Amino acid sequence: MAYAYLFKYIIIGDTGVGKSCLLLQFTDKRFQPVHDLTIGVEFGARMITIDGKQIKLQIWDTAGQEAFRSITRSYYRGAAGALLVYDITRRDTFNHLTTWLEDARQHSNSNMVIMLIGNKSDLESRREVKKEEGEAFAREHGLVFMETSAKTAANVEEAFINTAKEIYEKIQEGVFDINNEANGIKIGPQHSTAGGASGAGGAGAGGAAGGGCC
Amino acid sequence: MFRSRSWFGASWGRPKNPHSLERLKYLHNILCKNTTVSESNRGTLVESLRCIAEILIWGDQNDSSVFDFFLEKNMLSYFLKIMRQKCGGSSYVCVQLLQTLNILFENIRNETSLYYLLSNNHVNSIIVHKFDFSDEEVMAYYISFLKTLSLKLNNHTIHFFYNEHTKDFPLYTEAIKFFNHSESMVRIAVRTLTLNVYRVQDASMLRFIRDRTAAPYFSNLVWFIGKHILELDACVRNDAEMSFCSHQSQQKLDDLVAEHLDHLHYINDILCLNIPDLNDVLTEHLLHKLLVPLYIYSLTSESVRRLAASSPYNRDHIQSIEAITRNLEAILKGKHTESPSRMTFPRHRMESEDEIKPSVSCVVSLFLLSQVFLIITHGPIVHALAWIILQSDLSVFEDGATKILEMYISNAKSNVKLEFSKPQLSLEKALENTSSERDYTTPEYSGSKSFGYDTDQSSCDLDPELVSNSLPSTSHISEASSIGHDSTEDLVTQIQPVKSMSATTIKENMPDSPLPDSGIDSSSSKTNEYNNITDEEKQKLLGVIPSTSAERAVTLESLIERESREIEKRPFLKTILDSLDCSENDYKALFALCLLFALINNKGVNTELLDTLLCPEDEITSSAQESGVASSSAPSGDTQMSSPPPKRPLQSFNALLISKLMAITNLSCKPASKVRLVTLELSVTLMRVAMCGAGGGASARHAPAADALRARAAALARNFYKCDDIFLDMFEDEYCETSKRPLNVEWLCMDAAILLPPTRTPMSGIAFAKRLPSGEMERARRAIRTFFLIRDLYLKLTGKSETQLPLSNPAPFVQVGDVLDLNDSDLISCDIIQKDGTWQHRFLAVDHIQIILVEPDKQRLGWGVAKLVGSLQDLEIQGDKEDPRCLHLTIHKPRVGASGALPRTVLLRAKFKFDDHIRSMAAKQRLTKGRTKSRQKKMQQIGRLLEVSGMCAPALAPRHRPLFARPALATVRRSTGGDDDTERRLRRPSGHMLKDGIVVYRERTTSRESSVSRSSSAQGSREGSPRSRSEEIPMEDIKRNAVASSLAATPVVQQCQPSTSSPLLKTNNSSEETSFISSEPSRPKRKGIVETI
Repeated sequence: MAYAYLFKYIIIGDTGVGKSCLLLQFTDKRFQPVHDLTIGVEFGARMITIDGKQIKLQIWDTAGQEAFRSITRSYYRGAAGALLVYDITRRDTFNHLTTWLEDARQHSNSNMVIMLIGNKSDLESRREVKKEEGEAFAREHGLVFMETSAKTAANVEEAFINTAKEIYEKIQEGVFDINNEANGIKIGPQHSTAGGASGAGGAGAGGAAGGGCC
Repeated sequence: MFRSRSWFGASWGRPKNPHSLERLKYLHNILCKNTTVSESNRGTLVESLRCIAEILIWGDQNDSSVFDFFLEKNMLSYFLKIMRQKCGGSSYVCVQLLQTLNILFENIRNETSLYYLLSNNHVNSIIVHKFDFSDEEVMAYYISFLKTLSLKLNNHTIHFFYNEHTKDFPLYTEAIKFFNHSESMVRIAVRTLTLNVYRVQDASMLRFIRDRTAAPYFSNLVWFIGKHILELDACVRNDAEMSFCSHQSQQKLDDLVAEHLDHLHYINDILCLNIPDLNDVLTEHLLHKLLVPLYIYSLTSESVRRLAASSPYNRDHIQSIEAITRNLEAILKGKHTESPSRMTFPRHRMESEDEIKPSVSCVVSLFLLSQVFLIITHGPIVHALAWIILQSDLSVFEDGATKILEMYISNAKSNVKLEFSKPQLSLEKALENTSSERDYTTPEYSGSKSFGYDTDQSSCDLDPELVSNSLPSTSHISEASSIGHDSTEDLVTQIQPVKSMSATTIKENMPDSPLPDSGIDSSSSKTNEYNNITDEEKQKLLGVIPSTSAERAVTLESLIERESREIEKRPFLKTILDSLDCSENDYKALFALCLLFALINNKGVNTELLDTLLCPEDEITSSAQESGVASSSAPSGDTQMSSPPPKRPLQSFNALLISKLMAITNLSCKPASKVRLVTLELSVTLMRVAMCGAGGGASARHAPAADALRARAAALARNFYKCDDIFLDMFEDEYCETSKRPLNVEWLCMDAAILLPPTRTPMSGIAFAKRLPSGEMERARRAIRTFFLIRDLYLKLTGKSETQLPLSNPAPFVQVGDVLDLNDSDLISCDIIQKDGTWQHRFLAVDHIQIILVEPDKQRLGWGVAKLVGSLQDLEIQGDKEDPRCLHLTIHKPRVGASGALPRTVLLRAKFKFDDHIRSMAAKQRLTKGRTKSRQKKMQQIGRLLEVSGMCAPALAPRHRPLFARPALATVRRSTGGDDDTERRLRRPSGHMLKDGIVVYRERTTSRESSVSRSSSAQGSREGSPRSRSEEIPMEDIKRNAVASSLAATPVVQQCQPSTSSPLLKTNNSSEETSFISSEPSRPKRKGIVETI
């Protein structure tokens, strides 16, 4: 499927904060929250539209690889965006953010856009981390912040798309070197045929309803 | 596109509940009816596959009958059928299919379900299916699928993927084919998968990996790392040629460096899994195919070329290079080079290819080797490398004394040629061979197979089966290495004669000890002989060594001379030490220093080997003797390693190294020096290590030299000592920088920017320490930092503690919340109006170094609580154009310790409104003067540090005495628990002095104040002082009592600080009599301030 840019994302954060569920929720919206079904996946891709341009997001979950230093290292470096996720019902996951952030900053490209996500916002009754705390942390470290729920799909779309918008802006400003694929950004195959392709893809992304993987 | 869900509602009779067995049956029906993928039905298929994943996971968590149905109908086979069709939209369907499988394997919790899914081998069929990998989407989903599977591997599930009988392991072999894929995320996934596979530690599976795939995989891995490095080298050369590198090429360099680091970390992760067999193969390939023939070889070329003319060993340099590498090859391979099958082949190739042997520049090679030593700690690799660098000399090659090196290389039976060359088979081909009908004599790898482990094991009648059977666990490798001494001992001795490396490692590698005992036969009688002889020799030598320091001084020059003669024989070490020459620039020197640092700090390198660099000659002999004793009582592989053969006692290059480092430091003390700060810092760090020797006691002898260096650095900084404001700020900022960010060599070696020739301009974006100073300002900064670094070295070597830095000791600062005795102090009442309109009333007090805003203490008359404390030094004062009663003040946080380097925190920026314009002027004057004074004082301190002429020697007096304290008592308390009587006795006179020359401005103008200071304000002027003077003695006791009872309402911070010169609540003791006196002279000054007001 033709696209103007491809952005690679990674999702980081403690285990059990719902990283893979967020991913699946975004890339495959059909998995609606029914019957307490927790379901996630480690990789997914989806097309979105920003500024009239087709942009493909490839999202890689890094779960289960923490044991190997070489792996985490490389993941950070290959990504243009990162979603740093914590669970609002578990304070410890919030407390570990600093470590995650340090890691990310050390290994990643300095231009990587990091978005802070407080997940499971549907579980208001069990909340342990106030929204204001998340906001304060984000402000202090220059991150974009959002509370989401992979279950109700609240803000999930926005989280991924806003991150993409920020990356896109950075490209427009010339901050990102788009010719360097190591940055996690790829220019699409010649999109001179944009007419046809974007028509089809646009429908997919805009409609988004079933639109998993194209 | 095919997203319309209209078909759902159509005539298919879809069950309403999306999570039910009925729904799955219905979907099964769809699959049955659509066995052929076509344009028209692929949307339907995708949707069905998506639903199947969801229902199955739901079923796994809620209803087992769902899964039973799925298995019963063998629905995975439908998946295969769909996959195998080549038609228009197949990739579209395949992607969903793979994602469904991903979801399935990722989310299944029920183990039985998982086993059922895996049991019919469909998954393996899917793994080996040739998808259209040119489609990046398919590729990404496919590799994620493999990775997801690998995360499910354990001792049970491994058998579904690895077939012991057919020797088939598609999950692994298919994945590693993509290890060099152009897409970084794919490469990472492959690495993850391999690591997940290795850590399962299933003996049979690991044997398969080792025998069938390790050689091809590792040789390819190593080959691509090497190719990568050549690319990096080209990039560096390219940049070096251009006067200034373009942004883009620096980015490329960054990526190449990061990629190399990734490789090293990956290799280290494998090695850290501690799988002996695998590690040995990897070690062998790494050493023989990459590290020695490319990295180390690149070190030789230059130095040997220069050497050629003078060397008595080799006249023709081409020959000498060849001789070295060839001999090294022979040595590394050990005896087995005699084996005819390999004898002719490598030699032949070598000669024909000698001229075009790839190499990288010395700079790159030093840089890469530093990274190797910083990251990899696997003993056999780093130790062998370190040995080659430090010990191997030309005579070794000449004499063909292969036996020495033999000890270091466990894999003596190696059949990996020492050469950086392309693997003879592509990985894919090699793997095809492995997975096809097995014959053990595949020509290309017959080496590793027939001569390798298989033969070794069979020749000692060690049936692989037997091994795994004799041990309780499935993993004989990990078990064996942890059992070590007891049950496996018989096994071990059986293997040892045959020199199976795994067996040796079992013996040598005690659990959890990543030691460089790479299979040295410690019980060998031969090495014991060496040991004995060496000891005797050493003892003899010991007697000859000059023992007095005078003699030492005389011999130092000759020592260096001798060492520089000796080093001619060590081509690799010579290159490194030669690179330390900074007379032109420090480009190479920085990398040589990095390498030395990494080498010295690597845990895997034997410390005794490092004595070559770190121990002075005389100490080596004595320490070697000690270790000789130690090793005779408990023979260990370690001591053997560095034990020299009888004829050559261990040569030390300590003096030479120190002299080189000294030269760098000396050079950096010159005004127009080309030595960057980072280079200096690294050489200072190394010098400290090298001068301390092994025992740590030898540092004193270098103290005079260090002192001379310090004087020179002070002289350099003195050039910039001016009395303008900026010097002081620079001085303090630089101090904070140096103390806050000690050099991190690992981070330094991650920075590709240092690979570019040293630059001057800050516009390059290179950090200040990593480039040369540009302009006068930066030269001053550089000089100051140079001074700090060298001074630190001097202090550490002489064992002195730092007493003069940082300039402002945090201790004397009043803390917010402190309760201060302000009786008879200068106080100016004022209103503080902030931008947002908030209004506060405070009293302004000023001491030597700080501006303090206080609020009256409600409990004690004349006391105040500090509400805000800022430094006078950084105070910004501005009059108000409209209202003469007002001042605009910006108050900064005091610089305390290392935190001072933070961007100066503004504590308060506000308008101060005084009662009238006289008060306002007085305050302005006082603050301005205070600011100047506090800066002058610090400048004097700096002057003393830099030995500026006219500055007196550093006084013992405290550096700051708070204004409203008893000056005589404001001294550093060195010991606690002074006698009460002494304290009181000392305190009395001081109380008297407190009253001297203090003007009290205490105005009662606001209504707020009157409530608090009703009584005190009445006597708030001069007339009050006689009264309080008379009350002085009792007051002391009151205060002390107050402290003793430690009022909860008035936390007294000073009390808990051991070395404070707390202005108010001072306990003192008798040892401070000197400071008492020395502080006297400065008193008039303070008086002066007051008098002007």
